[in-house]
Amino acid sequence: MFLMGLFLTGAELSSRQRLLLMLPLCLSIAIVYKVTRCAHVRDVPLASLTLWITIVLGMFAVGVGLWAAFMIMV
Amino acid sequence: MERNQPTIDIRAPLAGFLGWLVPGLGHILIGDRSRGLICFVTITATFWTGVAIGGVGTTIDPHDRTLWFAGQLCAGGNTIVAYMFHETVVSRWTPSDRAAATANWASSEVGVHYTGVAGLLNILVVLDAIARAEVSTVVARIKRRETARSVT
Repeated sequence: MFLMGLFLTGAELSSRQRLLLMLPLCLSIAIVYKVTRCAHVRDVPLASLTLWITIVLGMFAVGVGLWAAFMIMV
Repeated sequence: MERNQPTIDIRAPLAGFLGWLVPGLGHILIGDRSRGLICFVTITATFWTGVAIGGVGTTIDPHDRTLWFAGQLCAGGNTIVAYMFHETVVSRWTPSDRAAATANWASSEVGVHYTGVAGLLNILVVLDAIARAEVSTVVARIKRRETARSVT
């Protein structure tokens, strides 16, 4: 019953929490992509961690760039 | 004469279908257990985290979010179970429940993204399982031919 309740109603999220939820999503993308690409499964943890950091830093850079462009234009 | 007859191998389509139904099961079928288990845990956790964040009533919604539902359907069995849950829940909703779910739009957006991405990741896993099954079939066929040649 507790498990059903967990999936029944949505969670209340602040804007910071919404932003932080990007991290586990990027991690799962990195893991699944590297699982399909790596020849050996033992290489997956390091490769997916590297990809995860790359994705997060890349998105952060895009965000900063868009924010800077917005500040210049407005 | 027998050697030239094409052999029907259903491993690749079966790996694709089972991989769609349960993420990672295609890999487990072709003997790649650890790879399949990682895919199963990652995709299933991503999908149900999305449902938990957004709530099943607004996250899995084929009427209001048709295109997202198409993406979610790629997660196979997870989406089927969540949709059955959705149908059970929404039919019992009162107008106040519906209003509460609509007010929670930000978390339902995050939930929809999680479940949609889980479905799209499963496409990648299904295609990988099919490719690996085909490669292993071709390798096995070549080995059989070489063994037959060395015998004759």
